[in-house]
Order: sequence, then C-alpha cells, then structure tokens
Amino acid sequence: MADLGRAALVVSLGLAVYAAVAGTVAARDNRRRLAVSARNALFCCFGSTAVASAVLATALVRHDFSFVYVAEHTNRALPTSYSLSAFWGGQEGSLLLWLLVLTGYGALAVGLNRKVLRELTAWVVPVLGGTAAFFAFVLVAVSSPFDTQTAPFDGAGLTHSLRNPYMVAHPPMLYLGYVGLSVPFAFAAGALLSGRTDERWIVATRRWTLAAWAFLGFGQLLGAHWAYTEVGWGGYYAWDPVENAALMPWLAATAFLHSVMIQERKGMLKVWNMVLVALAFELSVFGTFLTRSGVVNSIHSFAKSPIGGWFLAFVVISSLFSLTLIMWRLPLLKARTKLESALSREATFLYNNLLLVALCLTVLWGVLFPIVTQVVKGETRTIGRPYYDFFLRVFGLPLLLLMGIGPLIAWRKTSARALVRTLAWPIAASVACGAALVAAGAGSSRPGLIAYTFCAFVLATILVELVRGTRAAGSLFTLVSRNRRRYGGYVVHAAIVLLALGIAGSSAYSHTVERPLRLGQSMTVAGYTLTNEGVHHTVSPSVTRTFVDLRVSGRFNGTVKPAQAEYAIPPEPAQEVSIKTDWSRAQDLYVIADELHQKTGLVYVKVLVKPLVNLIWIAGFVFLLGSAVALWPDAREQRRLVTRLAPARA
Amino acid sequence: MTAIVLGLLLAAGVVVLVALPFLREPAPADDRLDAPTAADERRLALVEERDRALAALKELEFDHRTGKVDDDDYLALVGPLRRSAAAALRALDADRSYGAQMTEPETPDLPPEPAPPPDEGTPPAPPTVPEPYPPPDEATIPSIPQE
Repeated sequence: MADLGRAALVVSLGLAVYAAVAGTVAARDNRRRLAVSARNALFCCFGSTAVASAVLATALVRHDFSFVYVAEHTNRALPTSYSLSAFWGGQEGSLLLWLLVLTGYGALAVGLNRKVLRELTAWVVPVLGGTAAFFAFVLVAVSSPFDTQTAPFDGAGLTHSLRNPYMVAHPPMLYLGYVGLSVPFAFAAGALLSGRTDERWIVATRRWTLAAWAFLGFGQLLGAHWAYTEVGWGGYYAWDPVENAALMPWLAATAFLHSVMIQERKGMLKVWNMVLVALAFELSVFGTFLTRSGVVNSIHSFAKSPIGGWFLAFVVISSLFSLTLIMWRLPLLKARTKLESALSREATFLYNNLLLVALCLTVLWGVLFPIVTQVVKGETRTIGRPYYDFFLRVFGLPLLLLMGIGPLIAWRKTSARALVRTLAWPIAASVACGAALVAAGAGSSRPGLIAYTFCAFVLATILVELVRGTRAAGSLFTLVSRNRRRYGGYVVHAAIVLLALGIAGSSAYSHTVERPLRLGQSMTVAGYTLTNEGVHHTVSPSVTRTFVDLRVSGRFNGTVKPAQAEYAIPPEPAQEVSIKTDWSRAQDLYVIADELHQKTGLVYVKVLVKPLVNLIWIAGFVFLLGSAVALWPDAREQRRLVTRLAPARA
Repeated sequence: MTAIVLGLLLAAGVVVLVALPFLREPAPADDRLDAPTAADERRLALVEERDRALAALKELEFDHRTGKVDDDDYLALVGPLRRSAAAALRALDADRSYGAQMTEPETPDLPPEPAPPPDEGTPPAPPTVPEPYPPPDEATIPSIPQE
C-alpha cells in the first residue's frame, strides 16, 4: 500500500504545480476554462492527499511495520487512538496532515467563493496551489512517510509523553490554525494580484481567519494543559521557541482581526492589513521551520532534519513575494479617510494593534536572538523567562486596559464628557475591587494587583455594555443575535480576562517550596502540610515506577503520590506529577518528586500552590464559545454578502 | 500490484476531472473569465459606500442611545453621514442598469432626513429613528429601489 501512498503524493504534487501554473496563466490571460481546470486541480489535490492520508492512517491502525514511519512511532501495544495520533506524532506524518488541511481548506474556500468572487478566486487558486506544491514537494522528495523496509516484529512505540488525550487533540488544532491562516493570505495575495483591493477579500475570508485564529488559540491552551499535567516542571508555558512559534502568528492574527474592522468601516489601514495577514502566514511557516530545523533547542522540536533549509527558503521567498506585491499595489491601497479623533473606537483598535505587533515582534526577537548570536558571535546566547515576563507586563497590561476602554468608545469620535460618563461605573467597580484586593493582602505583587484590577475593569465594561445594549434592544437574545460578531467578541474578551486572572494568580501569587523530605518528616506550604509516609516501587513489564506516599492535611486531606517512571518501550524516563485541585480555594496543589530512595525513604520534593490556575483551562472553553458565537452563520449577513459581492452579470 | 493499479486509476481520474472544462466545452463562444465591467465596479463601489454610510448611521444611533455619543456629537455627525448615504443611494438610483439587475427588491429603510440638516441651519432636536437595530454589522442592508 505504500506504493499507493507514494503515487497519491506524486499526483498531489503534479496537481498543485498545475493549479499554480495554469491558475496563473488563466488569471493573467483571462481564460475561463483554464481557470476552472486549475480550480478542479486544487479540488483533486485534496482528494489525492486524502488518499495518501488514508493509506498512512490504515497502516498505523493495522501496525504495518513495513512502513518505516509506522515502525518508528507505534508498536503493537499501542491503543488504536494513540496509533492514529502517531499520524502527527512524527515529522513526515505531520507534514502530510499539513498538506491535507491546506488542500482541504483551500478547496472549500475557493469552492464557496467561486461564484461571488470569480476574478479574485482565479488568483487565489495559484497562490494556494503554489503553497501546496511546496509541501507536496517536501513530502515526495525530502521527507516521505511512505518509505518502506523489511517489517520488524514490533515498532519502537510512541513517546510516552505524547500518550495523552490533550496531545491527541493539540497538534491537529494547531495545524488547523496554522494552515487556516493560508486562506486569508491567499485571498489577500489574490486581491493584490487582481488589483481588487477593496474590502471583498476581507469580507469573504473573515470567518476563515476567525476559525483559524480560534483553533490556534484553543490549540495552544490544550498544549499548555498538556505541559502542566504531563511534562512535570510545574508550569504551563515556558516561553519555549516552539511554543512561541504558535503564539506569534496568533498575536498577528489577533491584530488583523481587529484592524480589518477599521478597513471595513472606514477604508483605512489597507496596507497595514496586508502586512498583518502576510506576517501571520509567514510566522506560521516560520514556526514550522523552527520546529523542524534544529536551529533552536526545544523539548518540542522534531529531530534535526534536512527540511529546515527548505522551509527557510520558502519563508524567504514567500515573504519577498508578499512584500513585492504590497509595494507594487501601494497606489491601490491608499486610505479613503483619516482618523477623526484620538478618542474613537478606531483609534483604540490602532493602539491595540501597535501593542499586539510590538509584543509579537518582541517574542520574535527572543526566539531569533540565540540564532543571531550564534551567527554573529559564534556562541549561542538565549533569552530567559525574565525578558518575556517583562514585555508581557509592558505590553499585556495596557492591552488588557484597552480591551475594557475600546468597547465603550464610539466610532469616529467620543467627547471626553461622554467618555467619563460611560467609564464611571467600570472605573468605580475596578477601584473598589482593587481596594478589596489590597485589604485581602493581594498587594504583595504589584503586577498581580494591577492585572486583577484591570480584569475587574474589563469585566465591568462588558457587563455595562450588555446591560445598556439589552435595555436598548429589548432583550439580551435580540441584542446578541443581531450582532454576533460584536458580542461573540465580548465573550472572547471575557475569556482573555479569565486567562489573565489565571496567569496572574498562578504566577504572581503562587507559593513554591522545594526541599528533601525524610521518612516521617513533614513540610508546610500555604496551609497544606505534607508528610512523607514512604517511598515505594512497582514493576510491570511495561514500566517501573517509584513513587512517594505523601499524606496531605490542613486545607486538604488526602494522599498524593508523585512518581518517577522508567518505561520499557520506548525506553525513557518520565516525571509523573501529582495534582490536587482545591475547588473551595480555587487553587492547585502541585507536587513533584525527585531523587527517590526506596531504602532510606528520602525524597526531594517540590510543592507548588497555584491559585486560579484552573481559570486558564476554563478560559479555553469560554474562548471557544465566544468564537462560535462570532462564527455562527447569519442569514442576514449572508444576504448582505451576496447582494454586495455577486457579480453584476446575470 | 493492486496499489499500482489504484494509483493509475487515481491519476487517470484526476486527469479527467482537470480536463473536464475543456471536454465539456471544446469550442466555447466565450472563454473569458467573468470579470466585472467598469460599470459593475462603479456600482459595487457605490453599494459599498451606501452600506458603509448606512452602517455608520446605525452604529451612531446605537452609540447615541447607549450613551457613548452625547447629543452635540450626535448632531454634528449625523448630518454628513445621512448626506453621504443619500448621495450613494441617488448615484445608485441614477445607474439605469442597476435596477434591472437586482434580484431582491426591497424598500430602503434610510432614516428620514432632518430638515434642515443639522449643520446647515438651526440644529433640530435629535430625530427619532424608526429602526435603530439591528446594529450595523449584521444589519439588513436595503436593496435599491428599481426604476
């Protein structure tokens, strides 16, 4: 069956190249049949990639170890769900998933818009075809999942840290996000190539951008939860280069989602939006380069492989392509109007954009710094957590504040008097909250106190907006259903507030104590007393586990059993942390054990108490809810799109 | 062997699908892409201008009613927006070919023009707008009356 997979990939490559070349010729020479043919090639490219994917999935489920990829990433003992998740557990499979999602997204986006935006989609097809051609080429010529061998009796198995439900969902979510950004990029490039630089490409791709952004955001939270429960270092985000690789395009896409609203309403920021959509796409491919090239040290990296250079070349070429297009079409991208007031909704969006892009570029510099120092000085210097934490506070706190102010400011302009009147309640609520927090002892961390107070302010503004809007509309349902985009956005804002509360609580107000603990000895952390009741050892054919029994008393009564494990297949150690959620105090007791001595009962224990950390995971679901509200199809909007975008010819 | 046959079938199938436009229409009367004409482009620009002005008007009404815009700002902003919307509607109305192409005729619900416009005489009291909702993003955009 590997032959079929290889043949399907070769067919995909041929179709993608055809879609790129024939699509370009058709759009340039205004040839209808050739344009339809190129479009069909893109559809078929998805079909043939689906065939290749089905071949690999079948081989994984059937444990066909004649496939090198299957033998390297699965074994007979692996349950079917994890065997299937090995599809994206290795480099070749994840590239195939990328191509599958790319061609699927592309076919769907082009298919849905083929009638209302014919001249635009004619140019979108070659852009998507060119991108797909690159991935198909890498799969065919550089890193194929269909290499074969004489089948061994059993495979190497999947890394144990990847045998986690969150890791089953996290990579596909990220890919749906990364690859989804190709669609707005292709439409933006299509708009520039066709010279149709009005708002049509934005209107047509709004939901695609939103969906990709939602997948990327939720995927990162799934990854954070996996890191928290599985990796065992006590945190959920380490500013690792590969984690940052997902954060950067998300930040750029967040800026884009806000700034397109200014273009839609005011015809401003056309160049800026083109730059942002290109930046989001390039950063998503750059992230793949970081993950696979081996140029940065990361626990998430795939093994160093030759495809890094290909990805770097693709990023450089596509960036130059985007910049050239934007420069070429600059005369068409002039703004129709100007900013009327610094106190207006569009101005707050602009400030928000500047902060988001500044944060994005700051993270990018942190990621690039080791590479730059290696090239310039010949030694690798890395930037640590304090750098990122500092800039997160510098840019993140004003962003949080703007998230509260923005919705209360009118488009075009707002007088200072109206602004003060509108902000009175939220400011009063946040000041009262801040005072209460100081009284409760939260003043120990100034950034934490500021973050909490700003969060209270944002929640108060959302509440004020909903109350005033409901009064005017008659009911909350009417209000939300008639402007899902806006109120879905407010729900997402609420999710960001929960996220900020979780991050502030679990970082600024966490307690950490680490110390050796002898048999019978106790330690107390933030009201929890842990007593060592002995180190134990269990052996099974697949794993040898050494764990300590720690009796917990005080704020929580029970036992925790952090462990260290040695797996047999594949042979690797694993840290198994113990987490107890204390819902009454909204905090986690997180215990890590190291250097366990069964004979003496001595163990080195690290105990963390992390307040509000679970708000981060709850934020993920609120984020999804808000995104779903904003994405929900609306008959009125569809009619508007058709009325506006339908070609004049009958 | 089965895999090779399946691969060949796949290749043959996609070749047929890709060539389908040429197989269906070996010698079409018109092989040009259905690109909008200059008149279409002009009409589209006017439609966008109309939509933008109407959306801005409804947004202004919403912001006024929820207290984000005070009366003075409202009166200063509403006149130009109404004139802009009216100008776009008149321009669309003047386009003879446009009316015949509409598929879904509706009556526009443009708020009534204050008389005199606020910045051309004594500012009137804030007018009562018949339909401040839905807010502009999702608003039903009125189609243009046929001639």
